[in-house]
Amino acid sequence: MKLPDEFLSEEDLDLKNLSEEELYRYWDLWLHQAQASNDLDKDEYSHGVFAL
Amino acid sequence: MNAYLELTEEFNSGKVRAIVSSGQAVVLHRLAVMSKDGDWIIREEGETTAHILSVLASHGARYRFGAPLDCRWLKEGWSSHFEFFRDGLRIRTDFVSRPPRINREALDRLWKTHESQPVPFVGLRDLAELKKTNREKDYPVIGELARLMGKLEERLLYSRSARDLIALAAQYPGEIGPLKRQRPLLAVLSRGEDAVEKALDEERRELMHRNEERLQKYIKAAEHWKAHWPALDAQTAGLGLLKAHETLVKAAENDLPAQVEKTA
Repeated sequence: MKLPDEFLSEEDLDLKNLSEEELYRYWDLWLHQAQASNDLDKDEYSHGVFAL
Repeated sequence: MNAYLELTEEFNSGKVRAIVSSGQAVVLHRLAVMSKDGDWIIREEGETTAHILSVLASHGARYRFGAPLDCRWLKEGWSSHFEFFRDGLRIRTDFVSRPPRINREALDRLWKTHESQPVPFVGLRDLAELKKTNREKDYPVIGELARLMGKLEERLLYSRSARDLIALAAQYPGEIGPLKRQRPLLAVLSRGEDAVEKALDEERRELMHRNEERLQKYIKAAEHWKAHWPALDAQTAGLGLLKAHETLVKAAENDLPAQVEKTA
């Protein structure tokens, strides 16, 4: 039996099992933890047509 | 609620002006949290840009390097970028009115679909198109978006899995032919998994290069703007956002061509 292709991890895809409140809490927690890399990506753009 | 959703509510006070896009739309589809920035597709009209600027000004936002939030540039595909800080978070807000790879018909449909939703966010198919960027990390997201798509045609057009595609072709052989023109890779499905995986890799690289070529035109057109930006940034540093916007618009009229050359 072949394993299905995996693109994202199980933890990522488990967002669908969270209640709305849990999702918002997890989302906020992730955003706060991600602030640690602000210095590294201060000149980056996630989307758009500009680059520094 | 979440900072980006609260902002969306403010942008859409009284009417839907902004649709959540890209990374935060991926969260709203319950796939993954992968992005720190907020992206919105906005209505291409003066009332919308004025309202959004007013909301951003109330949060003490400042411009990042980008086009002014003005329809003259937005309608040519330029993007506008802002940043502010709130409750320990760096909030970045990016705006376009003409997102790449979404044609006029799809854009009209997008607005019709979302004109009365409380928290509008881009649907699966349009989001998959937006994710066809020059970044490797966006392609697994397309793969998972495709698995959520209900329509067979859409799964065939967007799937990033050789196994899923071959299984769909075996189950619905008559559906492949008509779609080959839209997605040439589908012509390879009968050649087996290795061939399809190779074709998927080639397709991804081609899409990445295509987006790079698109961006290069804007980067070239923005050369003067980029050279002047440090001085403009310093000049507008102490001003509120609305005054800064006026200054940047005047400068952009000279230094940032609205229309981008069609060829590099």
